[in-house]
Amino acid sequence: MRKHRPKIKTVNWILGIISVIVFVFVLFPPFMLFLTSIKTNLDALRFPPVWIFQPVFTNYGEIFHLVPFARNLTNSLIVATVSTLVALLVGSMAAYGLTRFRFRRAKDLSFWILSIRMTPPVAAVIPIFILLRNLRLLDTQLSLIIAYCTFNIPFAVWLLRSFFQEIPREIEESALVDGCSSFATFFRIALPLVAPGMAATGIFTFIFSWNEFLFALIMTGTRAQTVPVVLTGFIRETGIMWSHMAAAGVLAMAPMILFTALVQKNLVKGLTMGAIK
Amino acid sequence: MMKRNLEKFAPLLFIGPAVFILLFIVIFPMVYSWALSFAEWNLMRGGDWRFVGLRNYAQALLHDPHFYTSLRVTLIYVILAVGIQFLLGLVIALLLNRPLKRVGFLRTVLVIPTTMTPVVVGIIWRLLYNPELGTINYFLSLFGFRPLSWLGDPSLALPSVIMADIWQWTPFMALILLAGLQALPREPYEASVVDGATTLQTFRLITFPLLLPTIIVALLLRIMDAFKIFDLIFILTGGGPGMTTEVLSFYTYRFGFKFFHMGRAAAMSLLLFAILFVITQIFLKYYRAGEER
Repeated sequence: MRKHRPKIKTVNWILGIISVIVFVFVLFPPFMLFLTSIKTNLDALRFPPVWIFQPVFTNYGEIFHLVPFARNLTNSLIVATVSTLVALLVGSMAAYGLTRFRFRRAKDLSFWILSIRMTPPVAAVIPIFILLRNLRLLDTQLSLIIAYCTFNIPFAVWLLRSFFQEIPREIEESALVDGCSSFATFFRIALPLVAPGMAATGIFTFIFSWNEFLFALIMTGTRAQTVPVVLTGFIRETGIMWSHMAAAGVLAMAPMILFTALVQKNLVKGLTMGAIK
Repeated sequence: MMKRNLEKFAPLLFIGPAVFILLFIVIFPMVYSWALSFAEWNLMRGGDWRFVGLRNYAQALLHDPHFYTSLRVTLIYVILAVGIQFLLGLVIALLLNRPLKRVGFLRTVLVIPTTMTPVVVGIIWRLLYNPELGTINYFLSLFGFRPLSWLGDPSLALPSVIMADIWQWTPFMALILLAGLQALPREPYEASVVDGATTLQTFRLITFPLLLPTIIVALLLRIMDAFKIFDLIFILTGGGPGMTTEVLSFYTYRFGFKFFHMGRAAAMSLLLFAILFVITQIFLKYYRAGEER
């Protein structure tokens, strides 16, 4: 045992060094973005980059005047929240139905729903654009909520299915025997039991919707524009407004990072369940 | 009585809403897209569809060298990005697969890039790559290297975009593989210790085969996403310089929303879908074969 000790120590050292490299690699780029966001435009354009400077926070205020950032944030928030709620409600019901009722072709139906998620967005965006144009819904929050159903509902069904499968059947059967309808059983018994699954699914659909770019780029104009689209507006003919774009970028990613830190456990569980099952 | 009737339709009522919504927003548009791919229709000039049969497909497949250029760019992108993410992710997962203190914190850090808006990731890397004020050239200059035009140089642009993709998705790969590793049974390892197997043997004969289903799913997920890559290209290079970073989805986007050739764009997007479908099927076949073993 004694002989092994130095070896373990070396291994731990190497591991430590590699971990540090990985974390510097992961954290350095967003750190640079933050640094740029608290520089004046003059400092941001300086080369070699200045590391010690008088930090300013005016960029964060100014972006609300340069672009309708408050509206963009509101749009992103509404679109992400509503499409998450829709995906959770519709998705959990479908997932429950698919795991609990025996019927022909249930497997095919599940696979069909999953295969929708494989559709490249650029293939879906053309017909959905035309559909929403004909419905006169372009440039509304509703258009994005509808479009995001294409990936959020299949994802929610698929992820929640694995959570429902884990509930022992006996619990629900006794409820049914007691005279509960399947709806009451679903809402009062099954749904509370998959609360962690619902949380993980909700977090993911929220992140997907918050981050989505292609649909938002094509289907919104000024009114319903979301945060990712307005970020590209800081790239102008006259040059890139680095410090302002960085500030807006920080505001776009901050809620997600905060969110992630708070729900880290559910997130990793959901991530891996969704991936592996 | 009412209740009994409702109960009879319960499966329909549970699954119906999802299927109805998906039919409306996916199947209907898909069919529309199919129809559109056989027609010529310019969104700007308005007017009616003109049925042109297979011409849109023929043009893409037979008369458009750019289509193959973008297909090649896409394939290089997918293979390099996902390949490197997988190798690095596997190494990180194997390193982290031990009872470490503060593993929760490490995971939180690892999950950050994954949850970040690809547009913000693009902005960050554009900042780092900037030839005049970018941090990467600054660090290179400290070691005496001359500055490079990372996104402007035709031979560097694609690798630079791939680098950003690797930054964003390697941690995701590592997290999935780590979860797979932690779900593996303990017994085969105990046996291998008794048999005196080396670390490499243990990995090759036990870990790798047991982890294979997870590996296939992780690769499949990333390959599907990498094939669809759009945001990162949009922000970093816009497909340039030349066509060196023009991936299929970006090329299709240009046909549809810059040139407004909706029919041609629809045909190309269906070709992209077909390619993805074939790849997915191959992977799923291996996955099922792996599960049955």
